[in-house]
Amino acid sequence: MKPNTDLSVDFCGVKFKNPFLLSSSPVANSAEMIGRAFDAGWAGVAYKTIAGDKVKIVHPSPRMAGYDSGSQRLIGLQNVEQISDRSLTDNMRDIAYLKKHWPDHPIIASIMGFSGPEWVQLAKAATDAGADLLELNLSCPHMAVEGSGHKVGQNEDLVRHFTQLVRDATPIPVLVKLTPNITDMTVPAMYAKAGGADGIAAINTVRAIAGLQLDTLVPTLNVFGRGAISGYSGPAVKPIGLRFIADMAKHPELHLPLSGMGGIETWIDALEYLLLGASTIQVTTGIIHYGYGIVEDLIEGLSDYMDAHGIKRVADLVGSALPHLGDTDAFDISRQGVAQYDLDHCVGCGQCYTVCRDAGGQALAWDSATRRPQLTEDKCLSCMICSFVCPVEGLINFKEMPTGWQREECVTLG
Amino acid sequence: MNSLTPDQAMPQGLTHAQAVAEAERCLLCVDAPCSKACPADTDPGRFIRKFRMKNVLGAVRTIKEANILGGACGVLCPTEQLCEGACCAAGLGKPVRIGELQRFLVEYGWKHGFDPLGTPEPTGPAVAVVGSGPAGLACAADLAQAGYRVTIFEARERAGGVLAFGVPEYRFSAAFLASELADVARLGVEIRCSSPIDRTHGVQKLLEDGFKAVFLGIGCWDPVRLDPEGPVVPGVLPSMSFLSALRSGREAEVAAFIKGKTVAVLGGGSVAMDCIGAAARLGAEDIYLVYRRSWVEMPTMAEERLEALKLGAHFLLLSRPVGYAVNESGKLNGLRIMRTRLEAKAEGRRKPVDLPGSEYTLEVDCVIEAFSARPDAASPSWYPGVKVDAGGLVVVDPATGATTVPGVYAGGDLVNGPDLIVDAVRDGKRAAKAIQEFLAGSGK
Repeated sequence: MKPNTDLSVDFCGVKFKNPFLLSSSPVANSAEMIGRAFDAGWAGVAYKTIAGDKVKIVHPSPRMAGYDSGSQRLIGLQNVEQISDRSLTDNMRDIAYLKKHWPDHPIIASIMGFSGPEWVQLAKAATDAGADLLELNLSCPHMAVEGSGHKVGQNEDLVRHFTQLVRDATPIPVLVKLTPNITDMTVPAMYAKAGGADGIAAINTVRAIAGLQLDTLVPTLNVFGRGAISGYSGPAVKPIGLRFIADMAKHPELHLPLSGMGGIETWIDALEYLLLGASTIQVTTGIIHYGYGIVEDLIEGLSDYMDAHGIKRVADLVGSALPHLGDTDAFDISRQGVAQYDLDHCVGCGQCYTVCRDAGGQALAWDSATRRPQLTEDKCLSCMICSFVCPVEGLINFKEMPTGWQREECVTLG
Repeated sequence: MNSLTPDQAMPQGLTHAQAVAEAERCLLCVDAPCSKACPADTDPGRFIRKFRMKNVLGAVRTIKEANILGGACGVLCPTEQLCEGACCAAGLGKPVRIGELQRFLVEYGWKHGFDPLGTPEPTGPAVAVVGSGPAGLACAADLAQAGYRVTIFEARERAGGVLAFGVPEYRFSAAFLASELADVARLGVEIRCSSPIDRTHGVQKLLEDGFKAVFLGIGCWDPVRLDPEGPVVPGVLPSMSFLSALRSGREAEVAAFIKGKTVAVLGGGSVAMDCIGAAARLGAEDIYLVYRRSWVEMPTMAEERLEALKLGAHFLLLSRPVGYAVNESGKLNGLRIMRTRLEAKAEGRRKPVDLPGSEYTLEVDCVIEAFSARPDAASPSWYPGVKVDAGGLVVVDPATGATTVPGVYAGGDLVNGPDLIVDAVRDGKRAAKAIQEFLAGSGK
């Protein structure tokens, strides 16, 4: 049976029919693209960052480089994408067009000023064009100029200052998009709150080098012989994004709605962000890899999950995993366990033996006649690396040992 | 025939991306069963791990150090009976396509101009290798790597033995063989073509000429015939003549023999499948395979048999070819066939017995006999003193490949009868090791 789950969310007082939005990026570059995304099922959009027309934006070429792991393509994506290279007028016309034709699909206008007056001008223009929310881009990782992009996000006073200017210039909700290229995101988030922000969007991309071209020694992506540290996204950064969202969601004083992003491709990724405190989900790299159509799977997967768990509203999911998250010193280390082997379906590759011998507790022996591992439980560190390399699903599991069980000490030579 | 149109050229190997994806299926086994299953010690467990770790050149080196014919084996080995038959990934569904990975890596080396073995300084004594087939090439390559001066004497005008004359181009191209032979030549091995040995220029002469040891790898080129005593029947060819003519610039002549004709191929082995493939490509109207046992007893990979079926061949199983029918002018017009049944399983394969009264004649225009083969009947006189068995096969010490004449070694089909290329490679390597020990002991 296909559930008819209500996935709608209220985010900063704006209703979205589901939590899935395009994030501010090349996937949200024009009304033509965004309209197709809405038709595919995306609930809203963070429109690609709009600037004033003072500086002509020209993109480096090429713009992006993929990061693969073996034959798995695009586990990461490095880009030197800039803010919108379209004129302010064209962008405003496109926003108005979208509002006219898809009135139920909220538009979050991402803006970036290079001066106080420009922030105010952009906020007013976007509001006038019909934007439902604003997202202040204080986190673009490609800005080399002080007072712009991630340089703002790394300076709490500027975060508060620009947020305040925009807050005073528009009646619509204001989100601040923050950079992960910082130790503690809750600090600028609190300054954004102090400046009047209604919500936080995170994470922007992680500054990175995806690799080198060994023949030219030019780091990727290679723009005619030059590389640069630039924004990195995709599944590889999801664990980092989840961490920053959880940090902010757990903060005792922040209490702002969070729009989570970073490496989301599947409904499970999205659900993880929701459970750790995000109440809307933004996607770019997943669309760069697979196109807008994945929203069907996000919607269906989340609906089935909620239906199976009797959850009526997305809001009931938001942050519900946080009580289980604490510091490492809260672990009960009096309880211990070991790996447990069910060898019925073992194919006899012995990868478990190799990794236990060279990276674990030397708890496995190898029977070369039967091609099966033999576990000495008392030596097992419960690192579980054997289970990560085992090609048979469910063969190796964690098992708790009885109270009082003691692990054998590591052998000392000499 | 209403069947698929076969590629005339040897199919391309895996692309780099396909090879990466295939290698990811490898379980990186401890004490890898695939490696143990390779007669030539080509060590897939090691070369696939190297490839996975992006140590691509190292992977090529591992293959070529162990098996100078790593490319040929990758293409031609019945891998389902060897490395892939032992692959643990089969427990998850299907084995890793090891043969294809091996081929990919060897071709990667060629494509990138990689010289995995270098050119060793020839400081050791001279050794003669007779025959440039898989056994001879493998023996020569190992000896050259150890610093011996090796000369291969090849009777035919081109090197490669069965690789050059016994396999159709669409399965194993001349260009592919040329690259593999270049790897042997780069080691400093000299290959003298059109240089047959015979009674007067035999093994003894080679030893007198200064070669300190001799390896015999001249193979089996004398076909077993259906009716060895009977008259020559126009329209009947041994597989060896058929396939080698195709590799000797006589394609047009052979095509005229086959095109539009009804052809019967006799036998159930890999060579029979090659003959079907070649005949289909030459435009045979109908192809019958006539085999006295059943499908499961056929000594060739299931994949090859299925390929023959896809080409439209009609398999007449449990059918023993008895003899030929000819017209007034003595030309072939039919194949007499006796139906058989299989006896209950005793030792080895089930034995076919005739069903009395079941004989019938199948109308055919030509027949290709793809039975076994033996060494040339005259060959023992080329190596006097070397013990041969009743079938003319050379008798060797299985541990060393040594014949009954000191300093004379043998391997490959000449010793085993028609067998796998990889087994010939194993024999060549085994003899190379024994020759080094022999020469070290006799004061190298």
